[in-house]
Amino acid sequence: MSKNYRILDLLRRGRTPLENHLIDGLVDGRISRREFVRHGSLLGLSLPLLGRVGMAAGFGAAPSLARAGAPGATIRIGSSVPAAAIDPVTIADAGGLLVMQQVAEFLCVDGPDLVLKPALAESWKPNADGTVWTFTLRKGVKFHSGGEMKAEDVIASIDRLADPANSSNALSVFTGILQKGNTKKVDDYTVEFHLDAANGNFPYMVSSDNYNAVIIPASYKGDYEKSFDGTGPFKLEKYTPKVGASFVRNDDYWGDKALPDRTEFTFFTDIQPQILALQGGQIDIINQMPVLAGVGLLNDPNVDIISLKSVAHQQLHMQCDADPFKDPRVRRAIALSIDRKKLVAGLMKGRAQEGNDSPFAGVYPSTDPSVPQREQDIAQAKQLMEAAGAGKGFKVTLTTERYLEIPEYAQLIQNWVKEIGIELELNILDQGAYYGDAVFGKSNWLDSVMGITDYGHRGVPNVYLAAPLKSEGTWNAAHFKNKDYDQLATSYIAALDLEAQKATAGKIQKLLLEETPVIFGYFYDYLTATAKGVTGVQPTAMSQLFLDKASKA
Amino acid sequence: MVFLGGQVLPGNVGRAILGPFADQRAVDALNHSLGVDRPLLVQYGTWIWNFLHGDMGTSYIFRAPVAPFVIDALGNSMKLALVAFVLVVPIGILGGVIAALNLNRPLDRIISLGGLSVTVLPEFVTGIILILIFGVWLRWLPIAAAWPKGAGFFTQLYYLILPSLPLFLVLFGYIARMARSGMIEALDSDYTRTAVLKGLPWRTVIWRHVLRNALLPTITVIATQTGYLIGGLVVIETLFRYQGIGSLIFTAARGKDFPMLEAGILTIGIVYAVATLVADFLYSVLNPRIRLGAEQ
Repeated sequence: MSKNYRILDLLRRGRTPLENHLIDGLVDGRISRREFVRHGSLLGLSLPLLGRVGMAAGFGAAPSLARAGAPGATIRIGSSVPAAAIDPVTIADAGGLLVMQQVAEFLCVDGPDLVLKPALAESWKPNADGTVWTFTLRKGVKFHSGGEMKAEDVIASIDRLADPANSSNALSVFTGILQKGNTKKVDDYTVEFHLDAANGNFPYMVSSDNYNAVIIPASYKGDYEKSFDGTGPFKLEKYTPKVGASFVRNDDYWGDKALPDRTEFTFFTDIQPQILALQGGQIDIINQMPVLAGVGLLNDPNVDIISLKSVAHQQLHMQCDADPFKDPRVRRAIALSIDRKKLVAGLMKGRAQEGNDSPFAGVYPSTDPSVPQREQDIAQAKQLMEAAGAGKGFKVTLTTERYLEIPEYAQLIQNWVKEIGIELELNILDQGAYYGDAVFGKSNWLDSVMGITDYGHRGVPNVYLAAPLKSEGTWNAAHFKNKDYDQLATSYIAALDLEAQKATAGKIQKLLLEETPVIFGYFYDYLTATAKGVTGVQPTAMSQLFLDKASKA
Repeated sequence: MVFLGGQVLPGNVGRAILGPFADQRAVDALNHSLGVDRPLLVQYGTWIWNFLHGDMGTSYIFRAPVAPFVIDALGNSMKLALVAFVLVVPIGILGGVIAALNLNRPLDRIISLGGLSVTVLPEFVTGIILILIFGVWLRWLPIAAAWPKGAGFFTQLYYLILPSLPLFLVLFGYIARMARSGMIEALDSDYTRTAVLKGLPWRTVIWRHVLRNALLPTITVIATQTGYLIGGLVVIETLFRYQGIGSLIFTAARGKDFPMLEAGILTIGIVYAVATLVADFLYSVLNPRIRLGAEQ
């Protein structure tokens, strides 16, 4: 398809230099259409505009996936039990945030394709250096309790999370980025976020990616379970802790009204009973299905599997300041002994992507694809061990948690490193015992010489780049201290421009391959199982589940 | 004990609620607002004081009073235990008696061996097999033991059949074996021979002389199993998504939710005590020697 420069010129008019640079990147073929849409959405360009630019640049119209189903269904979902009282400030578990997300909404939503979509905010844009982001709010949005959502509510909701006095689970997201009091009102429908430092990915921090960041009334004082107030397409009907929750359509919703009449959530403490309940026809959806437990459903003709590419992974850390891992060659040798193709095909049944020992998963548009993938190479691993003076091998303990496929992963590693003379002793703990107090000196996770830790999905790599890898990072179990890395990570986080991000990403990827403080073996898909005939279900890899377009045949 | 034991375990409530990746300042703030950063003795004293005044306290995790959770869970557990009990005790005893009366004949072998075989299978195995057969393939029985709100007696019973079956299988072999060995011993005894020799009808011998003596050890066994039936069913409760007291205590312990844990454990302690008391009482009904001893 040919490029229409006349329309492109029209579309470019009034855009910022940063936005036009992105458009040029697409026109000149430096970035792909997928990267263009995703980064454009981050900069606050509207999806229709991104579509028009794509058309004019000769890419044809974006495919439309929306297909309206029949209204009126009751959708029954199986999910994990909310682990604690549901409160937007403290909530930290998949079961709880799923319930909360049914009634409350975010400024923007990080969709399944990692493209930011407007929700309570209609649009957003950064200033020239990315230190101030301005969000324009949607007008006419009503809380279930009656009032209209305005700038005050957004400011209160975000300030509540950024306040160190508030037991906020999102404090670790906002630390060093946004402080309490720096979210400012411009008018009733415009707010500005004044950041501590430039941040090119800030909109993700106030999107569904930061699951605490729902917008609730400014007057909220705690005890969320009393009100379950929000702006969402469903209203709470009933919530019984440990048992379940039900929701009904919100007829005052600002957008398209929800198709289902009701949704019913049933809480399970284990995955096996959920699978049986789906097979027995007592629920329609399993929100999150670990691949190992759900093998039986992957080929079940009565079940559809929604498979989302996610960046969730298990980090294998090696303490860079302790024997036997002080020498980076030893760390590289271990990374080279691992057969990633087997991990993906065998352990994860093909529902994963190979990792390349950095947080830059293939699905991130900023990942530099020219950095070669690390493959298994026992001969080279043995050479490295020899060169590091560890040719005779050694004994070391791998400490980890009993969670998902981690114990099986640990056993596979145990077998692989045997080939290069390393004898691994496995110490597999209950999750509580592994994490301990989660501070240095009081945590098996942060104090073990070698360990495997589970990391959930994030729409941008910022969190993975900072806390587990920066010298002062609070989750730096590898005790990795590298000034060059710190600088690169900081400049990546600050970069607004996709190509600048990509260039820095490539440098970080190469540095981490060389140093290998953490092995990223694979990034696993987020699986949702639905009974045949259930359509319109939209999960996210953050455990959220959008049901407003769901229907049953 | 529970209170102290729990303190020794790693982790704290705030960390358990907010997760390992939360900021330490947020964890400290939460611990402070829950009052778990106070000295241990103060926490314990407050808890005991409130408990003695009939207040079981407020759950750290759910931030709601503990009492309704414990009472609901105990009620549910007792319902399930009762159904399992009503199924397994008569059938188990009957099985044991039949086996003893047919000693070393095929029927005895079938009951003893069959009972023992299913007893050694853990509940999660028999549970899943039963769910697959009755819930998934035949679809006769509901898989989850959660009946709709306001369900009547028979509906609740219908929902409880499937979860009580694995319990039945676990306990049947045990009870039948105890009854069988008690019966064999009693049948072999002098008083039975005397009773037969003095010309009593066989039925009367069995009913009045043999059974009464044979069941004494069985009752002790059943009484000790009551505690398990009410408090020890974490696996069954998880599998059948049943809100019993076993899983309540289990999750409370994991989340370091002490008010909930303490209340749950005390409740189970009371249940054990009551079950033992009832067993002693039954024992004295069946065994006049104990009654006489008391009177002397």
